[in-house]
This record gives sequence, structure tokens and C-alpha cells, in this order.
Amino acid sequence: MLELEDVRKTFNEGTAHEVRALQGVSVKIEENSFTIIIGTNGSGKSTLLSAIAGAFPVDHGRVRLAGHDITRWPEFRRASLIGRVFQNPFSGTAPNLTIAENFALAARRGGRRGLGLAITSKLRCQMRDLVRELNMGLEDRLDTPIGTLSGGQRQALTLLMASWQRPQLLLLDEHTAALDPKSAEQVVALSEKVIARDRLTALMVTHSMQQAARLGDRLLMMHRGKVLLDLRGIQKKRVRAEELLDRFEEVRRADLLDESAAEMLARSYV
Amino acid sequence: MSLLIGALTIGFILSLLALGVYISFRIFDFADITTEGSITLGAAVTAMLVVNGWNPLAATAMGFAAGLLAGSVTGVVAMRFGVNRLLSGILTMTALYSVNLRIMGRSNIPLLNEYTVVTMAEKAGQRVFGTAEMSLLGWEVSVRDLSLLIVAPLLVAVVSVLLFAFFRTNLGTAMRATGDNAQMIRALGGDDRRMVILGLALANGLIALSGALLAQYQGFADVQMGIGMVVWGLASVIIGEALVGTRQLGFAITGAVMGSVLFRLLVAVALRWGLNPNDLKLITAAFVFIALILPKLLRSVPGRQRRVASA
Repeated sequence: MLELEDVRKTFNEGTAHEVRALQGVSVKIEENSFTIIIGTNGSGKSTLLSAIAGAFPVDHGRVRLAGHDITRWPEFRRASLIGRVFQNPFSGTAPNLTIAENFALAARRGGRRGLGLAITSKLRCQMRDLVRELNMGLEDRLDTPIGTLSGGQRQALTLLMASWQRPQLLLLDEHTAALDPKSAEQVVALSEKVIARDRLTALMVTHSMQQAARLGDRLLMMHRGKVLLDLRGIQKKRVRAEELLDRFEEVRRADLLDESAAEMLARSYV
Repeated sequence: MSLLIGALTIGFILSLLALGVYISFRIFDFADITTEGSITLGAAVTAMLVVNGWNPLAATAMGFAAGLLAGSVTGVVAMRFGVNRLLSGILTMTALYSVNLRIMGRSNIPLLNEYTVVTMAEKAGQRVFGTAEMSLLGWEVSVRDLSLLIVAPLLVAVVSVLLFAFFRTNLGTAMRATGDNAQMIRALGGDDRRMVILGLALANGLIALSGALLAQYQGFADVQMGIGMVVWGLASVIIGEALVGTRQLGFAITGAVMGSVLFRLLVAVALRWGLNPNDLKLITAAFVFIALILPKLLRSVPGRQRRVASA
């Protein structure tokens, strides 16, 4: 279970570039749930994932995962509990290393890295079976540098690597946004399959309202660093992409109103 | 002939420097100028221990260990304290200049009359060949030169194989991945900063080992001997990459060794033709500069993209 307690983060505090990215987020994510996070640009959805992954220390609040208080854990230590797929398909793999070497690194996620041979024949068999499921023909190319593959292929492999050791939490950060539509579809299908099969607890940030409506069993909508909407169970099941777009429009109008009201007040009183 | 043998031997000894530079510059993309101090450090430590009657093998090993320490200092300064990478190397290099003078007590330690690894190799050679002079393909060569020419490549081969094996272990693979994509290794639970520190330690250990052997070969350790060594190492690495490519680890390691040997041969030939030794560093720097910008220049020539991309 993942538990966030009043998590706050402000970037560049006290400067002209101050961004109050997270303004008190408290959520509990149950085990084996698949939660979708949507939100406008700058709403803090990606920042939330980075805060959970430990890319930066939070200013306030606690982060708990699987019985550990990981608030003060550095990023690499949290990786023993968390698997991640990034928006940039190049972020999740080491381009000059072969597919097999990348998978060997993933096999030791969170474990000790000693002087044992990285790629044993047993491990090789395991990764071949794993990669074969992709139906991309990559199982015969385990010794090619991963940098020679397409973005979609690399993202699919990153997903397999991230979920391989069955993490306590899988973080998907707009992981299909940089892919062409066909690859994006493949990677989404693979994500669904892996999450369902291994009963993973997953958080997925997406821009696509279609994905948001169709996938997952819970939906969080973020706005201005807070959770604005939290749908689960039958509510989540019934929600349609159009309704979500309507909610965005509402939020946008409310924002405009805020701004114009502030302007009006400023004109009258300041 | 003895000029040729000498160039080959120095080429092999300095190939350890090239391997170190390959690790810091190519694997970790870390422009590490600690090199200039650590090669002298290896020479200084080994020379002092040899002069004080240590077993030359143990003294050489201590030179290697001193290099490990120097590299980790740069690593810690850069990765734990967040000092700019280039500046971290400059700081350690500058500090090492004083450290080296302290170790040696003066600026030059002669080793010609000491019992060193070179003496050991010479003795072994005399036992095998039975003479002090022999003819090789019609040339008179001293057994000392010949046995060094046999021992140096053997040693380099052993180091290369160990290095190759190390970079295929779990730790070594994680280190290579760190230079490639630090974000990725963090996401997979590797401490990227620790990897860089380990990598710099290993690189400077090899460089100091190279210095320790060089001092024993040339018969002295000198506080100035490190100047320009980064660029020499880089030139070797670049030549090696041109010879065998960069795609695979094994090729890259072999390339660095071949590059170093070839580079020393070219230098020997150039000096033989009357090149002023004082111009050597200028020419080497110009060579590395051209090798670094050449790919960019070729790319900017219209119609040449395809050929560069496939190269």
C-alpha cells in the first residue's frame, strides 16, 4: 500500500520562478489497484510521481510504501520497491549496452551488485522467454545495443524491466506520450496485461482521456498541486472520456473566473 | 632496432594509462585531469618504496593502490560534494603535485641502480636466453630490452582480460550503464554517484600503475612526468577507436592498447625524422583537437551525412 500524507513541494522558493507544484496531497493507494492520474499542464501529476520515486526531497509530509516510511530514502534505494517507466523512451534503458545487459541490470533492481557474472545462461533463458512475449522478434537480438531499437521497442522493454521483479509499486509517467499512435497502443496493451497478470499496484499518469476512462480502477484528477477529483469503483467504471473533458473545461473556466475576478477587484480597490 | 623495441615497450606500459583514460572519458564521460597527478603519484610511491628496499612487485602494487585513492578523492569531491567535475580533477591534480613532492622529498628519484621489476624481468630473460646479447632477425638486441618487450605485453594482456571480465560482472555492468544513462541506473536501484567514484578510482589506479612501471622502465621518477598525459592517453584512445570501433567492450579495450602502442611508434618515428621533442605536446594536442571535431566537420559537409552515420 502507498500512503501520501500532506505532501508539499515548492520549486525555486522565494524567487520569481517559484512553482508550488504540490500543495498538500494526501492519498492512500490500495494494494493491487491500478490508478490513473490526469490533470492540466502544471497540475503536479508528474511531480507527484517524481516525489514518490524520490527524484527530489519533499518539503513537507510523509511517503509510506509497503510498510516503510520512505520519505527520506534516496532515489536509488526506493528502487528496491518501485519500478518506473518514463515519458522519454530513452530514459529507461542504457543505449550502448545490449538488451541482455539492460535486463541483467533490471534483474538486480534493488539488490546487491557484486562481482558475479552479470549474464548467466539461466538469466538469459528467463529474459528470452520474457522478451518473446512482445512478439517483436527481439528475443533473437538480445546482444544488440538497445540504442539501435525504436522508441516503442525501448519503451516496451523498459516496461518489462520495470515490472520484472514484481515491484511493490509501478510508476508509469506518461509513458506513451512520446510514441507514435501504433506503438503507444502496443505499450498500453502491454501495460494492462502485465499489471493484470502480476497483480501489480500501479500509478499511471496520462494525457489521454480515452486511456483515463478505459484503464484502471481508480482515477485521480489533479489541479494546482492538489487532488481535485477521486473516482473509484462503480463511479470510475462508468466515467466516459467526454465527462472528463467537461471537468477539465469546468476547471479551466473556474480558473479564468478567478483571474478575471482578481483583475476586477484589483481595478476597483488597488 | 632498440629504438623500435623501446617505443613498443613504452607503448605497452602507457596502454594502462590509455585504459584508465578510456574508463573515465569514454565510459563515464568524465573529463578527469587527476590523471596528470596520479601517474606521477604511482611513480613516486613505487620509487620511494623501491629505494627503501621493498620488493618491487609489492611497491608497484602500492603505486596502484595510491592511484585508487587519488581517483576516489576526485570522485568524492565531484559526486558527494557536487563540485564541478573538471574542477574536482584540477583540485586533486594540484594537491597531488605537493603530495608527490612530499613523498619523494625532491623532484627526481633515480632508480637505475635499484632492484626493480625491470631488473626482475631482465634476470628472468637472461635465465631463459642464457646470454646478455642476442640477435633477432639479424639485429643485435640486448636481452634486457627483449625480455621487457615480452613481459610488458603479457602484463597488459592480463590487466585487459581482468578489466574485460570486471566490466561484465553485475557491478561492472552497472558502472558502464551509469555513464550511459545515470537516471536509468538510479531507477534500477544503483547508486550512480558511488559507481562514478568507483570508476574514477579504478581509472586512476590503472594510470598510477602505468606511472609506476614507466618510472622503473625509464629509471627515474620525476615530479613533472605527468604533464600532458591526459592528452596522450586520449590520443591513444581515439586512435584505438579509429582502428577497431567502439561498439563492443572487448574491441574498445583492445583498441586502447593498440592505439597506445601505435601512438608511441608514430612518436618514435617522428622524433627520428628530426621532430623537435619540445613540439610533441603541441602536435599531440592539435591531433586530439582535430580528432574530436572531425566527426562534426564531416557532418556539416552537405551530402556526407550517410557516410558518417554508417562509420
